[in-house]
Amino acid sequence: MAGALPDVAQYDTFPKLLRYNAEHRVSLAAVREKDLGIWQTWTWADFREAVRKLAAGMKALGLKRGEKIAIVGDNRPRLYFAMSAAQSLGAIPVPVYQDAVADEMRFVLDHAEVAFIVAEDQEQVDKVLSQKEHLAALRTIIYDDPRGMRDYGEPFLHAYDDVVGMGDERGWDEEVDLGKGSDTAIILYTSGTTGTPKGVVLSYDNLLLCAKIGADFEHLREDEVVLAYLPMAWVGDNVLSYCQAHLVGFSFACPESPETVPHDLRELGPTYFFAPPRVFENLLTQVTIRMEDAAPLKRRLFRFFMNVADRAGADILEGRKVGIADRLLYRLGEVLVYGPLKNVLGLSRLRVGYTAGEAIGPEIFRFFRSLGINLKQLYGQTEASVFVTIQANDGVRADSVGPPAPGVELQITDEGEVLYRSPGVFQEYYKNSEATAETKTADGWVHTGDAGVIDGDGHLRIIDRAKDVGKLRDGTLFAPKYLENKLKFYPNIREAVTFGHERDFVTAMINIDMEAVGNWAEKRNIPYSSYQELAARPEVLDIVEGHISELNESLSADPQFAGSQIHRFIVLHKMLDADDGELTRTQKVRRRFIAERYAPAIEALYGGEGNIVLETPVTFEDGRSGTITGDLVIRDAHVVEPGGERAAA
Amino acid sequence: METLYLIFIDPFVQMVVEPAFLVEVLIGGLTSGVMYSLVALGFVLIFKASGIFNFAQGIFVLFAALNFVGLMDLGVHPILAFIITIGIMTALAFAVDRLVLRPLVNQDPIILFMATIGIAFFLEGFGETLWGGDVRPVRVGIPDAALFWQLGFGEILVQSADLFAGVIAAFLVTVLALFFHFTPVGRALRAVADDHQAALSVGIPLNNIWVIVWAVAGFVALAAGIMWGAKLGVQFALSTIALKALPVLILGGFTSIPGAIIGGLIVGAGEKLFENYWGVPLLEGATEDWFAYIVAMIFLFFRPQGLFGEKIIERV
Amino acid sequence: MSRSGDILLSVKDISLRFGGVRALTDVSFDIHEGEIFAIIGPNGAGKSSMLNCINGFYHPQEGTITFKGEQRRQMRPHEAAAQGISRTFQNIALFKGMTTLENVMTGRMLKMQASFVEQALYIGRGRREEIAHREKVEEVIDFLEIQSIRKTPVGRLPYGLQKRVELARALAAEPELLLLDEPMAGMNVEEKEDMCRFVLSTNHELGTTIALIEHDMGVVMDLSDRVVVLDYGRKLAEGTPDEVRGNQDVIDAYLGVSHD
Repeated sequence: MAGALPDVAQYDTFPKLLRYNAEHRVSLAAVREKDLGIWQTWTWADFREAVRKLAAGMKALGLKRGEKIAIVGDNRPRLYFAMSAAQSLGAIPVPVYQDAVADEMRFVLDHAEVAFIVAEDQEQVDKVLSQKEHLAALRTIIYDDPRGMRDYGEPFLHAYDDVVGMGDERGWDEEVDLGKGSDTAIILYTSGTTGTPKGVVLSYDNLLLCAKIGADFEHLREDEVVLAYLPMAWVGDNVLSYCQAHLVGFSFACPESPETVPHDLRELGPTYFFAPPRVFENLLTQVTIRMEDAAPLKRRLFRFFMNVADRAGADILEGRKVGIADRLLYRLGEVLVYGPLKNVLGLSRLRVGYTAGEAIGPEIFRFFRSLGINLKQLYGQTEASVFVTIQANDGVRADSVGPPAPGVELQITDEGEVLYRSPGVFQEYYKNSEATAETKTADGWVHTGDAGVIDGDGHLRIIDRAKDVGKLRDGTLFAPKYLENKLKFYPNIREAVTFGHERDFVTAMINIDMEAVGNWAEKRNIPYSSYQELAARPEVLDIVEGHISELNESLSADPQFAGSQIHRFIVLHKMLDADDGELTRTQKVRRRFIAERYAPAIEALYGGEGNIVLETPVTFEDGRSGTITGDLVIRDAHVVEPGGERAAA
Repeated sequence: METLYLIFIDPFVQMVVEPAFLVEVLIGGLTSGVMYSLVALGFVLIFKASGIFNFAQGIFVLFAALNFVGLMDLGVHPILAFIITIGIMTALAFAVDRLVLRPLVNQDPIILFMATIGIAFFLEGFGETLWGGDVRPVRVGIPDAALFWQLGFGEILVQSADLFAGVIAAFLVTVLALFFHFTPVGRALRAVADDHQAALSVGIPLNNIWVIVWAVAGFVALAAGIMWGAKLGVQFALSTIALKALPVLILGGFTSIPGAIIGGLIVGAGEKLFENYWGVPLLEGATEDWFAYIVAMIFLFFRPQGLFGEKIIERV
Repeated sequence: MSRSGDILLSVKDISLRFGGVRALTDVSFDIHEGEIFAIIGPNGAGKSSMLNCINGFYHPQEGTITFKGEQRRQMRPHEAAAQGISRTFQNIALFKGMTTLENVMTGRMLKMQASFVEQALYIGRGRREEIAHREKVEEVIDFLEIQSIRKTPVGRLPYGLQKRVELARALAAEPELLLLDEPMAGMNVEEKEDMCRFVLSTNHELGTTIALIEHDMGVVMDLSDRVVVLDYGRKLAEGTPDEVRGNQDVIDAYLGVSHD
């Protein structure tokens, strides 16, 4: 019973939509929050009343059109009301990450020149007060939770409950009428991978058009159930909860506290859900652990039906042909395993689930799909008001992020960088025209900083950060991280570093996974006493060679990557280690450092030698340092020639 | 070979060939099982709340039934007799608390256990003095008729009294479970069972709780007594039947209410199945008297805490 | 901040003996309304015994305890609880098999007005009361930020959280006097900070008078308005944290001869 969406040309701001909803969707729920153990509900009419009252108070306190108002805290209805109240007065909300430390917060508050701050509680107020002297523009702080605030005497501090009674509600409609679609709706600060945060300025048109693209694409309805649990400062929460709720009329729910999200999820059973890959990873880990502890019968039942799901689940979900036996078994599995499992995870009612932000492990993705959960990938950015690409229900794949969303254009530069143009493209970086000019071209194309390829079906695949992507001497694209991730999907390979920029072909250095390969060796009675010894066993080199050759075979099928097959490799005699400066503390490869330290090995890889004696500095666990010397065999992998002939390089 | 066939093949063949008989046996087993559950429940209640293994619980069943039947024989209306008996059982609980438990508080569990044996002998004698030693039938208007049910695979014979008893017992068990889990008093009882000192500090008066528990156990005993009495007549042999609660407890675990219920059902159904399919053809019957104890022995070897019990329990 | 409310609890010349062992000898002190009062002293100084006397677990042979102007010597723990004294234990005494919510609900036990039958049958006043109590309990759960473990059996919770649940149960009784027996014992730094914050906000926001035993002197000095020092069952000193810190007897007791 999908009612037509309101016309975004007429209702071109969120306060106008709020008014529309309060009149046309009067008794529909708008916001929920679990408070004192019970789900409280505000209808759209309640929502408008709360906003009118708050806006009147804010106006009485002197908030003016065009001024910035920071919002700091967990997802709470009152903070969303504050966002809406500010927008209805033409002020610009600037949500701030609630877990930022005071120093980080200061940068944003100062840079955005916020005049007002709405803070959730004492903790956030304290952070702001500690930076108050640096915040010249700040005049007023409003706090939601009065707990612990009794002894604060500052005259510019006001309790939310007091603000609500302060002003005259009349005149609110006139204020709302003054707003228009091209106005700035919000400024969202993105941390970016480097440098200082940048304030992405988004207009109502940006957000509304994008929200509509998504809503149309997924046929969102008034009865969607959404849990707003990701930070309010993040564009995804803003668009997927606040914006789309305003447009479609569904309700979004705020969790009781950040720790209760899993419970709240289970109770609520969202139909429309976004989570970054790590959330799904955690869910899968929980399931796995629970199954390890389960009774043997239960465990076997689980394994059996997960195999069925793995065979047939994704096909059934996407409406492809499946054998009658598997279809019946899947039905049975739904009753015995998948249904209860989805219920425990809070995903049993899910219609549309998104994951984005980084690459999701294909086996994790497959696990959830096979349970019959419609989990899809999308690719988005704050600068795009979220949507750049979305996977359609019948076009879900683990290795791509889908085709461009309706209304979005894509192109790939010669350097491999992904550019897009869409109605959601941001106005500018606030007070940073230099960065704006670097990122957004005159005709509206935005540089993503990501390298990607568009495959035959028009699906975008993100392969790396653009700055890390290089070229082989013959001009072939060389995406080291893409290759390394593929290698690391083999459980036997722990870490891989590939080389090829301005070289004739690609080579690799490998760390084997001590546990996986060690188990394998023990089963075959292959003796070893250390990593170094195990890594030098010819049998182990055979395994790695097998993996690489297999990878080459699959790369050769892809015209974009056929040229980056791995020709030669070595298995290093020591683990790459953060203590030795080879990995970052977050276990990422420090490519440049490794290239320098292992320069002789790289030369040998390209020089055609059959082995190389390497002496590498190492820091032992007790803090002493020394060197490890190893005589490493260099192996050639099988490379598939573009013609299809298999030949040794 | 013949014997092996009789042990491993024939019983199952029989079950498949004559499903109606199997269902009859099962119904008979479960209805007596649910009454074992009721008796066992009385033990569990007291054990959980006060850590005492109340040896007298079996006698409680008999004593309650004797009072009830005795009052009825004096011409008291069954409902009134029921209420008066509840009163007597509550008064008994008070007496036990004042005369036995309070003076012995903080003594070894074994001392308290001995005390309950004393209570058992006293009640047995006192009951006989009061009401005499005859077998008395219970006539409380429980319809006693043979019902024939037509099922898909044949006709089965069910005693309506059995069914009635089963339903009442199931109802009681449900009510008690709800009571324990969802009412403040139930919560207080569980709190006391969990940690005496903490219970005291939040203001739960231990003595009152003990009286409540013993009274509830008395009430359960009365229900069990009436059911058993309706089936077999009220006689002193009832206290021996009540002892079957022991293997039920070993099976289900001394501290678990669901354990007492499921243990009772398993023992009831198990002994009937064994009697009919293995006992009669191979051992000339009368296996019902000892089957449950053998099962309990096996359990003591392999899972001493019972199906649902906590890991370590002090046994008597 | 200094608060000088009326005297809430007055301990006068308390002596407690177990057989021949003197646990407390002639101890006197007053606890004022609204303050955080700390009882400190070396191991075996009689701190826990003092707390046990106040809430009726022990009955001192001599002396009087006056609570809210009412003098008493022999009182049972549940009577103390009924008068408005709640406590936590050094070695957590929670109902391990019950959930956090059920544990905290037991703290409301004394506030229940409905008759036994109404409670047992969950009808009439019993039902209405349960709902009202649940609301109060939810406020406490919110106050101590333990929503996420509401339905978790407490036996499965980590130590620090169990301590918090125990505090919640004590608070659910809306006590006038809260006795905390080593609330921070065995906690890591972060858990201690949390617990300090909760103790302070209990005192500030709810206005509850608190008497606590604590070993961590930093915590005692930060939290408490007044301190009494016990040693070998006798009172050594009493006063503000600063006064006590400067007292020579106290310094000797803590730094001088070891008691072991």
